[in-house]
Amino acid sequence: MAELHQLEKSLLLALKDGKKIRLSKLLKKTKLPYASVARASVWLSSKGYAKIEDIKRSFIQLDSEGKKTRKKGLPERILVEAVLENGGCTLIDTVSTLTKLRKDEINVALGWGRRKGWLTFSRKKGKMFIIVKEKPEKGIDEQLIEQLFKGPITLDSLTSKQLLSFNVLVKRPKLISQNEEVDRFITLTKVGYTIAKQVKEVGDEISQLTPELIKSGKWRDIQFRKYDIKAPVAKIWAGKKQPYLRFLDDIKQKLVSLGFKEMVGSIVEFMFFNCDALYMPQDHPAREIHDIYYIKSPSYGDLSDYTALINNVKATHENGWETNSKGWRYPFSLEATKRLILRSQGTALSARMLVDSKLEIPGKYFSIARCYRPDVIDRTHLTEFNHVEGIVLGADLTFKDLLGILKMFAIETAGADKVRFTPDYFPFTEPSVELSAYTVDSGWLEFGGAGMFRPEVTLPLGIKVPVIAWGLGIDRIFMMKTGISDIRDIFSHDLNWLRSQKVI
Amino acid sequence: MPTIIVLFNDLQRLVGAQLPRNIDDLNEVFFFVKGEVESIDGDELSIEIKDGNRPDLWTVEGLARELRGALGIENGLKEYAVENYSGVEILVDSRLKDIRPYIACSIITNVQLNSESVRELMHLQDKLDLTYGRKRTRTSIGLYNYDLITPPIRYSVAKPLEISFVPLDGVKELSLKEIINTHPKGLEYGHILREKKHWPILLDAKNKILSFPPIINSNDLGRITEGVKDIFVEVTGMGYQTVLNTLMIVTLSLADRGEKILSTKIHYPYDDIINDETPKLKTNNMLLNVSYVNQILGLNLNIQSIIDLLKKSRYDAYQTDRDTITLTIPCYRIDVMHPIDLVEDIAIKYGYNNIEPQWPQLNTFGSLSNLNVESNLARDIMVGLGFQEVLTFSMSNKSNLFKKMNLEERNVVEISNPMTLNYNCLRDWLIPSLMEFLSKNSSVEYPQRIFELDKCYFIDKNKSTGVRERTTLACLCIHSKANFSEMKTILEAFFLNMGKMCKLKEDIFDCFINGRAGAILVDNVNVGFIGEIHPKVLEAWKLENPVIGFEIDLDKIFGK
Repeated sequence: MAELHQLEKSLLLALKDGKKIRLSKLLKKTKLPYASVARASVWLSSKGYAKIEDIKRSFIQLDSEGKKTRKKGLPERILVEAVLENGGCTLIDTVSTLTKLRKDEINVALGWGRRKGWLTFSRKKGKMFIIVKEKPEKGIDEQLIEQLFKGPITLDSLTSKQLLSFNVLVKRPKLISQNEEVDRFITLTKVGYTIAKQVKEVGDEISQLTPELIKSGKWRDIQFRKYDIKAPVAKIWAGKKQPYLRFLDDIKQKLVSLGFKEMVGSIVEFMFFNCDALYMPQDHPAREIHDIYYIKSPSYGDLSDYTALINNVKATHENGWETNSKGWRYPFSLEATKRLILRSQGTALSARMLVDSKLEIPGKYFSIARCYRPDVIDRTHLTEFNHVEGIVLGADLTFKDLLGILKMFAIETAGADKVRFTPDYFPFTEPSVELSAYTVDSGWLEFGGAGMFRPEVTLPLGIKVPVIAWGLGIDRIFMMKTGISDIRDIFSHDLNWLRSQKVI
Repeated sequence: MPTIIVLFNDLQRLVGAQLPRNIDDLNEVFFFVKGEVESIDGDELSIEIKDGNRPDLWTVEGLARELRGALGIENGLKEYAVENYSGVEILVDSRLKDIRPYIACSIITNVQLNSESVRELMHLQDKLDLTYGRKRTRTSIGLYNYDLITPPIRYSVAKPLEISFVPLDGVKELSLKEIINTHPKGLEYGHILREKKHWPILLDAKNKILSFPPIINSNDLGRITEGVKDIFVEVTGMGYQTVLNTLMIVTLSLADRGEKILSTKIHYPYDDIINDETPKLKTNNMLLNVSYVNQILGLNLNIQSIIDLLKKSRYDAYQTDRDTITLTIPCYRIDVMHPIDLVEDIAIKYGYNNIEPQWPQLNTFGSLSNLNVESNLARDIMVGLGFQEVLTFSMSNKSNLFKKMNLEERNVVEISNPMTLNYNCLRDWLIPSLMEFLSKNSSVEYPQRIFELDKCYFIDKNKSTGVRERTTLACLCIHSKANFSEMKTILEAFFLNMGKMCKLKEDIFDCFINGRAGAILVDNVNVGFIGEIHPKVLEAWKLENPVIGFEIDLDKIFGK
């Protein structure tokens, strides 16, 4: 047996004696609202369980004038009874006073009274009199009207006499009207009859399972209303992390799993750690106002904890100090080292790590550092952005290890199939290398840069082992993954976009 | 990094070999000079040179010189030497000391210039002025037809209206002041001189103007065309070493197309510098240990192969003992400060991609910073409470931070050189950034629940940088029925999950509705605030629904 809706079951039960039932009767029997019965009967019919017959019937009923006859009868009856009361004869001009009928009613009453033979006219001395001999019996037409007071009657239930009478009455204005009505009958088909026998009595179906139903065990006796599971529902939005920050979380996890410790530090930084300690000469173009944000107030900080280191760095810039380098050979300003700026490169954190008492050798460190550069914000430039950078220290590290680290990053963070190295330049590293990663989806992509810190960087800070410094251009990987082409979308203000991003 | 333009045919002729035409193959060649082709337009190659410290490679002649070595066409040192003193003296005016003190000059004879090489020469001059010369503030170059000059030359000064001449490619005589105020080059570089009372001027014995450094040459003497054979080069600037370096690079480029290099004598009137003869084309010597090379690169190269690779890099190199190589370093390699610079040259000529990468076997343990671990806890809880995390800029402005929030201005960390007024300080609280976010999403379906966890910045004289950072969490809710109890529910849920109890204490904040705001206390420490945003503030942000939120200093929760 196919799945039956509760309404269908109710109908089948009501119809199971196999008789043809009028829809209006079915309503009473099932105690269901009209719409439910109408729907369910159509469903049953479409399944072939029931037959629907629509039978057209004509009804007659009283019209507006007809309803008025209830108290006093038809105008001709009112007239003859008034005349009888007046002694069976009256002057035609007094009819209006006697009967209180309207003029058009009087005409009707006179016409029909004469036609029915209830009255006669007599002219005496030039005056017209109405004469009624006796009280007439109720005609078939009057009986029909009385019957109609109880409600409409179908046309085909009239006797032939009544029908004749109806045909006359219907011609009189607004007395009786005739209407057509469709009457619906439902019968079970043979299949339906069989099905109906199998339907058990249905209890009330319920939509909400309640604690009471569960506790009392009543749920066993009830049926659950079926839902339209395809119907639309209200939208909700999951709480979730910002996609770019989540992506950075993933990168962090990967780096941690590769043995890297996270470095953190202030974005307000000394020029010393951002540039001087990284062997960038004090007239280096990357230190100018269009490449670094300078703090207005306070503009200089206190570097007294690092006096010895600063002197080493100063000597290295000026003459190479003990590094075996010639140095940049220019007068180094100590004041310039104290200038406060917004960190312009993550390498500043690496420089700080090198002088940190917690530094471990061998050691691997990374940072995801917010960095700042003066730029007009557009689809390819941001004024603040993140650098993923770090260092690896170890007594026996070589250039081969540097290439190996880069290759691992390309595979782990960019999913690269192939890597390629090209010579590059950074003021603080030598040799320097650029990493290109190849993926089937996006071809070759410049993905990172690295190098070995120059002796002019490490020795003045007291580091005697090789230090590999690296940086990754992960923003482009993120943009590729999310399909965004505008770098501003990393800091997206578009809530719809954030809500619609899949969690990756 | 500078991008230079060279003409393909000229480069090919200078290299003396056929070069490939397609970009990928060309890039294989330019690998040796840290170059990458950006575009090819007919004969014109645009190449990015990824080395900010090798101005010698920013010239077509320098590129060719290096490529001849790398491609094995010519090995070892290319000798450049001053043939003899030209007899030209340059007299420097003492008043230049505070204006543009230094000058260095040279003469190159019998330079073969065609229209192509004239174009390249102009490009070289522009490129060096722009990059190495820092837009002419540090150094600037002038080239002149030597035959038209009558020595001695005077590097002197003039007042803005004192001297007039026809600037290069001009027709009309202009005063120095007119040049600064109206000539394109004057408008571009005038700022270098504008504040000075006197301006530099270069003239010969007949008082003919050579140039108005660093702005523009004269049209008479300072005009290089195809017919010019002997060229006088002059570089002025603020530092003597950079002036000498620039002169050397131009001199060598011209020498590669000419016959002889002649020197000039500079007479300085300053106390700290004696008379000098330029150009200086002196080579340097350096020792390099084979073991050092192999230790850095992780290779096992023998001494001869290292010598070969060095010669490909245009060094002269020979073995002086079992482990030591003695090198002669060409004068133009001003980048070579330390043997490590030689190691990179060896690696480049060996080929980076011929070195097998290896993952270093270091015994280290990875970890996230405590800050990160703690921040992640707070973020996870907020996400669990149904909030969308957002990321906004940490730079802001006082109008957003205070005025639009109906607050009195506070002192914040301000930037000296902001690019726009929208981003001229660091934020000291997060809610304004979140309000801005909501105001940009007023047409997006409500309810909206957002949070951000980031640093806030405060002036603090006790810190060495004068600035204290605080890890801060803020969240906001907006919808038509948003109210205080909803936010208090969230706040309590947040702290329950942090394992803390929080209490509220009534307080007045001008950004919140009076009586619907309070301070948040954890262990009797004030860690933040909560409240319903004042309608005045909502109006300022053009929001038409109630907004509620809180902001917490997480460092205080984590006990820092």
